[in-house]
Amino acid sequence: MKAILRLSVTVCAFLLTISTYAQLPSVKVENQKGEVISTSTLLRDGKPMIISFWSCSCKNCIMELDAINENLEDWLEEADFKVVAVSTDDARQLSRARAKAQGQGWDDFVQIYDKNQDLYRGMNVVTTPQAFVLDGKGKIVYSHTGYTPGSEIELFEAIKKINK
Amino acid sequence: MLFFRKSLLSVVLLTVGAVCAFADSDNETEETGKSKNSKGYLTGSFETNTILYHEDKKTSATVPDSHFGSNNYLKVDYYNNRFSIGLQMEAYEPVLVGYPTELQKVALTNYYVSWTDDRFSVTAGTFYEQFGSGLLFRSWEDRSLGLNNAVMGARVTYAFRDILSVKALWGLPRFGMSFSDTQVRGADLSLSLSNAIGMKAVSLALEGSVLNRYQALGTDQSLDGCKSGTTGYSARLNLEASGFFFKGEYVDAGQKYFYNFDYAGEGQMYFKKRGNAQLIETGYNGYGLGVSLSLRRLEWMSSKILNESTSTANMINYVPALCTQYTYALTTLHPYSARTGDLNSGFVNSGEMGGQIDIYYKINKKAKIHANASAYETIAKEGTFRPGKLLFSDTSIDWEMKWNKKFKSILLVSLQAYNPSYGADNVLWQQHIVVADLLYKWTKKISTRLELQYLNTFKNPVKAGDYYLSGDGKGDWMAAYLEVNFAPAWSIYVSDMFNHGGTKVNYYNGGVAYTKSRTRVALNYGRYKAGYICSGGVCRQIPAYTGLNLTVTTSF
Repeated sequence: MKAILRLSVTVCAFLLTISTYAQLPSVKVENQKGEVISTSTLLRDGKPMIISFWSCSCKNCIMELDAINENLEDWLEEADFKVVAVSTDDARQLSRARAKAQGQGWDDFVQIYDKNQDLYRGMNVVTTPQAFVLDGKGKIVYSHTGYTPGSEIELFEAIKKINK
Repeated sequence: MLFFRKSLLSVVLLTVGAVCAFADSDNETEETGKSKNSKGYLTGSFETNTILYHEDKKTSATVPDSHFGSNNYLKVDYYNNRFSIGLQMEAYEPVLVGYPTELQKVALTNYYVSWTDDRFSVTAGTFYEQFGSGLLFRSWEDRSLGLNNAVMGARVTYAFRDILSVKALWGLPRFGMSFSDTQVRGADLSLSLSNAIGMKAVSLALEGSVLNRYQALGTDQSLDGCKSGTTGYSARLNLEASGFFFKGEYVDAGQKYFYNFDYAGEGQMYFKKRGNAQLIETGYNGYGLGVSLSLRRLEWMSSKILNESTSTANMINYVPALCTQYTYALTTLHPYSARTGDLNSGFVNSGEMGGQIDIYYKINKKAKIHANASAYETIAKEGTFRPGKLLFSDTSIDWEMKWNKKFKSILLVSLQAYNPSYGADNVLWQQHIVVADLLYKWTKKISTRLELQYLNTFKNPVKAGDYYLSGDGKGDWMAAYLEVNFAPAWSIYVSDMFNHGGTKVNYYNGGVAYTKSRTRVALNYGRYKAGYICSGGVCRQIPAYTGLNLTVTTSF
């Protein structure tokens, strides 16, 4: 076991030296209609984006997306970007998540459904709420875990920096 | 098998070198037309959940010998264009109380190497996968349940445009800290008829799966005619048109064997049962209205990794309870778990049938409303669609109101009934719960949230139709929770749950959390009640404990 540990640490250290910034991984998710799409299609329009992970049982995630939604009209006047709401609900809650997104009035978000949690794992999300800000090429420029009312402002600050 | 696992580990680690060699030469452009970065990148995460336990006579708290428990997870992935490679290490020093006890010590538990493009993907090592709704097969990780049944083996996927998608896999599901000797092999196919004929307004897909599970059986079982290998199937239809949707699924989960508790040297030592399930989901989403109706019937649907283990993590399919999963403490005192078949001496129930409906509606910019109703019953006669005794029912309504820029409220009422004998008799515990959740923003960054909860049980048995309704003998509860947030970094809370109608025990709790970027550190102290921890409709039992809990999560 010690040998494996040592090897793992060495491998990680080596990889770090040849690594660059983290990006949006290309994995398969479902769109609003239930069709399978690749996350790489999110980059097609070249717009910066806020990616926020949520699920029906994550109260703070819903609070964060609601807060973004309330500010969205004003923010879009200052910067051009999109908001991607990623539901991590599995097959059990998938239909409910679609109904909830509708009832919350998140019509202006790009809604994707990560029912096998491939994007969740691919972006190494450990706990939700988790939000990322990506530039138009898919590079992660900002991220935060957890949500407290008011911390949505930080996401918009990060978007504004990209547009500068 | 051991040789195979060691070889696979070597392959995964050696591939790192190969990936790195590609790193400087690979400079491809993807379909997006954007030039991709020629270097790879490393991403990972770490989580620790550590508790210092101490004695508490009031709650008969469980205290492990070490007075200490710690669950730790380290996950690292390296991506380079189409290649990715990763590993996960877990350490239980020792495992926290209430988690599956097969989680022990340190191990490199998961590792994989994968190659993916828009059409093909190949994975060697551990992977997570599910077919359809997961009733036939699902491998996934849920750390709050102590569950990780990743499959170690190989998986290939292929997609032809947006019309056809095929998956095939083979491997050994993980159980505890290593991989079991049980083998699973399966395939899944999805065909989009609407995309095949270029229909835009309607989305119609046909899907099907097959899964074979193999576990060598003992002599007794073999003599009784049980087979080591069993094959299950699933057929599905998905339809969506202008906001309306319909999904249907039929599952034949293959042959299952159950020990005969009345066996006394004669007759069958094992009963043979065929697992089967039917699921329909339908509804409408549009114009601020979301409606979702699910109907499901299950018989003998528990699919295990190991026949002989009773661990909560011993599963290779996903049979969640289809009802609301609440976040408020008093609404989750008696959570429901789906019944997948009981075969005990004197009581046989082949499963459950029932359904739920959810309605979400955005009334205007300030008000939203949600209602849910769910009910599940036993199956009166095996092999039929005749409902028997009520197992669980819940009717709830919640109303969210934004009064002004500073003040928001949620009011929730939930009426629950629960059969503690799982249908063996007609006694139901009934409880009504009311919650007020109030958020006030003092400034742009300072806010408080207050929850007030009350749970009312029916103390005196009341005859209602065939059912006797009663409290659970523990009487009424009240609870309060107060949180103060200083965005974006700090959050502190205090809470108490008080069983004023029964044991008179206070379950107090308090804590502080600090968040910076992708790191969150939380420290809590308090009393925890014996009960259930549920995640995704699957529950595990936990004993009462009192202690100091440190949680750190970080990722990069």
